[in-house]
Amino acid sequence: MYSDQTETLTKKRIPLITLVGQPNSGKTTIFNFLSGKNFKTVNYPGSTVEYYVSRILSKHAVDANILDSPGIISLVPSSPDERLSVKALHSHPEYGAPDLVIVTVDSSQLSRHLLLVRQLQDSGFNVVVALTMIDILHRKGFDISETKLSQLLGCKVVRINGKTGEGIDNLLGAVKEGITSEQAGRRLIETRTPNSKRKEKLLESYREIESIENEVLFTLKSAKDDSRSSLASINEQLIVLGNNVRNRPDENTLRLDKILLHKFWGLAVFALIMSVTFTLIFWLAAPLMDLVNDGFSIASEFAFQALGDTWYGNLVSNGIISGVGSVMVFLPQILILFLILGLLEDSGYLARGAMLVDKPLSAIGLNGKSFVPMLSGFACAIPAIMATRTISNKRERFLTIFIVPLMSCSARLPVYALLTAFLFPPEDTLMGGIAMTAIYLFSIASSLVIASIANRLSKSISNLNDPSSFILELPAYRKPKLSVVGANSFNNAMQYVRKAGPVILYLSVILWVLTYFPNHTPQIDGAGRSEEEIVELTNSERIATSYASYMGKFLEPVLEPIGMDWRVGVSLVATLAAREVFVSSLALMFKVTEAGDDIQNSLLDAMRNAKIEGTGMKLFTTATSIGLIVFFVFALQCISTIAIVRKETGSWTIPALQLIAFTGLAYFLTYITVNGLRFIGVN
Amino acid sequence: MKNAAQLKPGEIAVIIDVDNDHPSSHRILEIGFTPGQEIQFISGALFNDPMAFSIRGSIVAIRKNEASCILIKPKH
Ligand SMILES: Nc1nc2c(ncn2[C@@H]2O[C@H](COP(=O)(O)OP(=O)(O)O)[C@@H](O)[C@H]2O)c(=O)[nH]1
Ligand SMILES: [Mg+2]
Repeated sequence: MYSDQTETLTKKRIPLITLVGQPNSGKTTIFNFLSGKNFKTVNYPGSTVEYYVSRILSKHAVDANILDSPGIISLVPSSPDERLSVKALHSHPEYGAPDLVIVTVDSSQLSRHLLLVRQLQDSGFNVVVALTMIDILHRKGFDISETKLSQLLGCKVVRINGKTGEGIDNLLGAVKEGITSEQAGRRLIETRTPNSKRKEKLLESYREIESIENEVLFTLKSAKDDSRSSLASINEQLIVLGNNVRNRPDENTLRLDKILLHKFWGLAVFALIMSVTFTLIFWLAAPLMDLVNDGFSIASEFAFQALGDTWYGNLVSNGIISGVGSVMVFLPQILILFLILGLLEDSGYLARGAMLVDKPLSAIGLNGKSFVPMLSGFACAIPAIMATRTISNKRERFLTIFIVPLMSCSARLPVYALLTAFLFPPEDTLMGGIAMTAIYLFSIASSLVIASIANRLSKSISNLNDPSSFILELPAYRKPKLSVVGANSFNNAMQYVRKAGPVILYLSVILWVLTYFPNHTPQIDGAGRSEEEIVELTNSERIATSYASYMGKFLEPVLEPIGMDWRVGVSLVATLAAREVFVSSLALMFKVTEAGDDIQNSLLDAMRNAKIEGTGMKLFTTATSIGLIVFFVFALQCISTIAIVRKETGSWTIPALQLIAFTGLAYFLTYITVNGLRFIGVN
Repeated sequence: MKNAAQLKPGEIAVIIDVDNDHPSSHRILEIGFTPGQEIQFISGALFNDPMAFSIRGSIVAIRKNEASCILIKPKH
């Protein structure tokens, strides 16, 4: 124990560099340049909510760790979460105190961002300033003198182009000098200004910053026209121009916001964007899906022919290839979902969306800032739940976490797509698109209803003296860079494959074993039957006497009331590993692939023919398919979601509540849907 | 005295003070709404809540009741 400690003490400590700055000021962009990593950068304040640490790339020749942190507005925290961020900045529980801090300063919003620099310097941090968004400052018609700024602030100042990485070398030079200076070892003082003095102190800092701003900014025109003229004369011109010009937000942004933030047009555009998103997912993906489908079908057939009608031939072609293929068919839809979300994120629109829905959401106990987590819940609940950290009011944050799992995540997409393809022929992309949009709208509406009920119920329990607030910077609009968004979506889709792929693969093999043994070659009385009938009988006999059926029979009493049989039951149990497994598991249970057939169509055919065992009743009907959709909308079938909710809320209360309430509700509503539809004659 | 919640879209005003009693007052000051600064009300969501203001070259959205703690005088 002791020797361990001395060893770590004598080993040379790797210097720590922390990136600090206001939200959306370009921290993660610089982090990616320095570390060679590819973390997501988003044009929304509050996109990084975790600390990420990485070694600086060896090609940069600086041996240090770099820490990316969530954005902060000031060193004076105003919520418990912010208090933690500020504490972590002084001394991170894992990585310790920083030797150097790189502060990102958005040069197009200079005075607001310099406040943090001043506060950091006052607390004794060893600071290097990275000026970002110079292109936006140029668009406003200004430029900045970093030498002058460096003099006035008394620290190194470097300008960075976040698009090209220009200036990173200079930043590294400043960093190298910074971590070896004697400043690096300086002790930090946690400044505690008494509440009564806080306002006075703040106004004083701002006055100081304003005078700095006056000296370092100059108009682009004057810089070009007479480059020989002294700074003084340029500054004279600036005084003539006055504050109001410099303090105008980006003109294009103002013009766009006239429409996008308009009382009525704004809402109309909002509704349009949301509904077009969900419709596009369906019909834009169709041709790509055919491609994937054909690919897997050919592979499956090839495997079957190469290996023959043996148990391993069956395993590879039916168990593995068609199992994985039946889910991967829906990958294009997932890719397009990521693409659209990425475009929205990069454009700067998300913050506007949050503003537009703040009023209605706060009526049911949520916050405008719940909007972004809810929207990213359409991709996956796990990052979405982490994104709720930007909501400072605890009640609103927990309520958002509570309903995020109800958003239709991408794992549910294959299930919905299969069931809508069952309800409407896959060629009918219009109806399919409408049905898909309807499912999404239904899940949003349900989550809002559940939020308002939960809000009423919990009002009596939770403390109310935590004031609700909505203060959000609306970033300048930017033309989304297709190359970046495309690459990001592709990465996300690949991550999806890497995460879901192995699970589907293992479960397909396990399920295959469970459905193939012990009675793998049942005795069938072949007299008077065609060969095709014999194959079919053999298959159904084998499954009916398989291990899976023994297990499934236990579930039968619960499943019968909602119109399902044990095979659907086994598939539902398998979804605890991942929701998409439902599709591959159905593909297995109903033994779909016959040589020469394509995977998706033969699965749909098999579903049309499937009968509830022992009866002549069809298993998949309009009623039971809609019932299954309803089940998937509500049921909490994701273990990772339960784990992350436990972590983020710090107790088991909310995840337990979600598991019981949502899954119970799912069963109850499915029961009502199936039997209600049957009652009115829909079958 | 007039406050920022009473501005009409497009109207420009100068901040005189921020009411210390509002729970969000400190955050509002920090984000740049300090006395002497010029603000413009850009646009509001339904019922003018939240409201988007231009301040120090940025656009910031705050709730109507938060805007009401920003005391202003019209710009001449
Ligand atoms: N126009 C412009 N955009 C930038 C620049 N640097 C970063 N960005 C974009 O600004 C947004 C916020 O950047 P990000 O690194 O995520 O900021 P963070 O929230 O501080 O980590 C992203 O959309 C970036 O692509 C820059 O120099 N110019
Ligand atoms: Mg970030």
